[in-house]
Amino acid sequence: MKRTAGSTFPSKSPGLRRSIDWGSLAPLRIRARMVAEGVYAGAHRSARKGAGVEFGGHRAYTPGDDLRWLDVRSLLRHDHLLVRQFETETDRALRLVVDSTASMGYRGAKAPASKAAWASLVAAALARVAIRSGDPVGLGFIGGSPQALGVPVSGGREAFERVVDALESQSASGDALTNLETLDRALAALARSARRGSVVVVLSDLLDLPAEAAERISAVATRGRVVVVVQVLDPDEATFPFTETVRLRSLEGNVTVESDEAARDRYLAALGELQETWRRILVGRGASFLTMTTDQDPVAAVRSIIEAVL
Amino acid sequence: MSFAAILALAIAGLVAAPYIAHRLRRQQAEERLFAATRLVPPTPPKARRRARLEDRGLFAIRGLSVIALALLGASPLVTCSRLALSRSGTSVAMAIVLDDSMSMRVVDASGRSRFQRAQEGAREILGALRDGDAAAIVLAGSPARVGLAATTDVGAARSALDGIAASDRATDLDGAVAIARTLVTELPQIDRRIIVLSDLADGKPDAPPLGEGSVLPVWVAMPELRATAGADDCGVLSADRAGGRARVRFACSSAGAAAGREVQIKDGDKVLATAPLPQTQMGEATLTVTVDEARELVAQLTGKDSIASDDTAPVVVEAGPAALAVVGDRNEEAVATGGAPVVEQALAALHVELAVRPIPQVPDRREDTAPFAAIIVDDPPGFTPEQRRALGSFVESGGVLLVTLGRRAAAAPLGANFEPLLTQAVGWDSSSVSGVEAASGATFFGEAAASLADLAPKGRAKLAEQDISAYEPLLKWTDSLPLVARRSRGRGEFWLTTLPFSVEVSDLALRPGFLALLDAFVTEAKHRATPRRGDVGVPWTFAGARTVEVQGPSGPLSPTRDDGTLRLVPTLAGAYRVTIDGAKELRVAAPLAREIDLRSRAVTPGATSSALGGGVAIVDVSWMIALALLALVAAELSSRALARSRAGQPDTARLG
Repeated sequence: MKRTAGSTFPSKSPGLRRSIDWGSLAPLRIRARMVAEGVYAGAHRSARKGAGVEFGGHRAYTPGDDLRWLDVRSLLRHDHLLVRQFETETDRALRLVVDSTASMGYRGAKAPASKAAWASLVAAALARVAIRSGDPVGLGFIGGSPQALGVPVSGGREAFERVVDALESQSASGDALTNLETLDRALAALARSARRGSVVVVLSDLLDLPAEAAERISAVATRGRVVVVVQVLDPDEATFPFTETVRLRSLEGNVTVESDEAARDRYLAALGELQETWRRILVGRGASFLTMTTDQDPVAAVRSIIEAVL
Repeated sequence: MSFAAILALAIAGLVAAPYIAHRLRRQQAEERLFAATRLVPPTPPKARRRARLEDRGLFAIRGLSVIALALLGASPLVTCSRLALSRSGTSVAMAIVLDDSMSMRVVDASGRSRFQRAQEGAREILGALRDGDAAAIVLAGSPARVGLAATTDVGAARSALDGIAASDRATDLDGAVAIARTLVTELPQIDRRIIVLSDLADGKPDAPPLGEGSVLPVWVAMPELRATAGADDCGVLSADRAGGRARVRFACSSAGAAAGREVQIKDGDKVLATAPLPQTQMGEATLTVTVDEARELVAQLTGKDSIASDDTAPVVVEAGPAALAVVGDRNEEAVATGGAPVVEQALAALHVELAVRPIPQVPDRREDTAPFAAIIVDDPPGFTPEQRRALGSFVESGGVLLVTLGRRAAAAPLGANFEPLLTQAVGWDSSSVSGVEAASGATFFGEAAASLADLAPKGRAKLAEQDISAYEPLLKWTDSLPLVARRSRGRGEFWLTTLPFSVEVSDLALRPGFLALLDAFVTEAKHRATPRRGDVGVPWTFAGARTVEVQGPSGPLSPTRDDGTLRLVPTLAGAYRVTIDGAKELRVAAPLAREIDLRSRAVTPGATSSALGGGVAIVDVSWMIALALLALVAAELSSRALARSRAGQPDTARLG
């Protein structure tokens, strides 16, 4: 089927397919490893091995946890599977939050894949890097399919597989703009469980999030957590390429607007204002804000994120 | 279906086709999904932006040009209901008889009076004139008169027409048609017509049909003016007051018109007396009024009718008819066969409208002369100083004095002369005279002058040369000395004869010429003794008056000077405050009873024939539209040239 420029789906059947358009980024697993390798090639490996020196407490065992940190005494004495945590390990856990609402399914004519696919690739690569560095990884979604579950924080090779599986099973659906619960569900668990030193990377287009989203995400950046918000935009969204009169329909919020190239400047100004708002709120709370487009090299994107974290 | 209708449909199709094509081509813009739609401002469609006006002035000019073109194309189809003559191809000479009488004040359902509609019709007729046509305007308000002599200048005719106003005159259709006929008969145009714009209510509904026997075609152009449905009127003809009573004479167009109406005597807004109007077509109502005579009262009819202007009239304090005083010794002047003196008998025979009052001696007080319009003094033995003063004042204020000179005049005692009549003493010439030069009095006495040709008196009065030269001789003796002469003084006149009326001196009083003399004298007296109430349209003359100021019902009026005499024609019914050489008096112009009869007169069948003209004509407006179109094209060219020159100007700010 021939793809219509500037549209996720053929325009005659909008909204019927919600699965992620992977485009040239498939298969995710291989592409993520390649991206991670590229990151390694340009950077030094992490000095942290995961073995901490200061005990940080216990937590329930999750399949995939490194068995080296399984608390045998607790298992023997109380028959509970607990994992010993050390400061080094708990501080650097990577918590990935990927926006999977309907707007992330958009793919423009110049984009290699949908925003959701690109964000998934970057998230998987980050997970790969973190795991290779000995840091545990967790994954959560904003919106998306109810059947696709997040991945609890865990480490090891399996953790990467779980993250990739979760990302591949996800679809771009849901409306965070009108349903604030969608955002709260993703952030509440994060705020509850992420410990000091955790790295939280949020990948979203930020276009259809409610007005309170910036405040709520920036609130995660307290208690020593490192929060990096990456706005993922399609090249069409960054440039507004339309030259003829078009009727534009949003993927969330059910907004329809008739417009043409005469609206470009005002659109870009509105987009800049949105980005500036997010930047001001996040930076004010110690978080970082990055803007990327899906035609950007994923390796460079992952490097930028890592640099922002460090 | 006519060709014009098919053509109109085709043009409508041509106009509609582009619009229909536009509607068919119009489609909605392509719909696309776009995640950031929320941030996209809506913009008006490109076509609409393209269609946005950049030069409204130019657009307006072009729009008007298109409209003008469309009108130009449609102008042959434009017709308008207006009066126009049927033409045979030759130039037309027409006399428009416009009725400006009171009955034309009747207002129709459209709120316009008959006069306004007739005036509009006259304008339309004048508008249909072509080069070579001639038009005259005759006004049918009594007396009929020329409003405009025949002219080919349409502009002048229009101006004259615009200057004509409605009046309360009576109607004189026959006179107006006669004048109209005179005006156009001698014109060189072959096609001559008389156009009558009147309601034909001239108070003579039973008269022969209008236009009967006329050598020129008479066209009654607006027969709808004759519609009398719902037209009823009652008017006050006169309101007189004597003692404690006021008599109000009225007339109605029909007996039923008086039903339910009352007549009131009002002092300002205060109603002093009210009486129901008798149910007759013409009658009188008497009301009791007790207020001071100095108050100016008004008689007013209650209710409403077709003509409002005749529902009110000023109440005049009744002074009785003007009288003529005859001074003489009845015993001496009585004829031998008995009866009144010969002059009184002659006046009775003439049926003069003045009351003849014999008085024993010449009044010696001005007040005593007030009731008289004329005084005849037969052979007085001079006047005392008081009498001279009273007579002088009487003549100055408009009275006419006739003094016959005879033996007694010639024998006036010392101190009793004839000032200011004569400056020198009167003599008596007993020699025989060989008759009267009839030709000298032909113009004044007419055929009766011939009866005096062989007049052979036993003598005659002899005047001094300077007195003779001061008088205008009306009848001369054969030796050119005056027999009858007159002289103006102030607003009145002195008349004298060099023969007394006594039959013992001559048989003058027994000849027809004597009656002619008295008739001329009485006519002059009546002419100068204008009553306080006159008919609308009948002129008031102010002979001898130096300044006359008149305040009429519609404002100040200016009397006209005709042969040295000031005249004023009251055209509206009501009160006129006249100031004659400083003396103020109130005069009233009253409508005529026949004008209140709204029944129309019959017309000949040919007078309403459509062969003479009609109410529909094609209006050629194409030349006006073409001119407008040319002006628009010029405006567009100018606008474009101006815009181009502006665009070509260097940007001095940028260059500098």
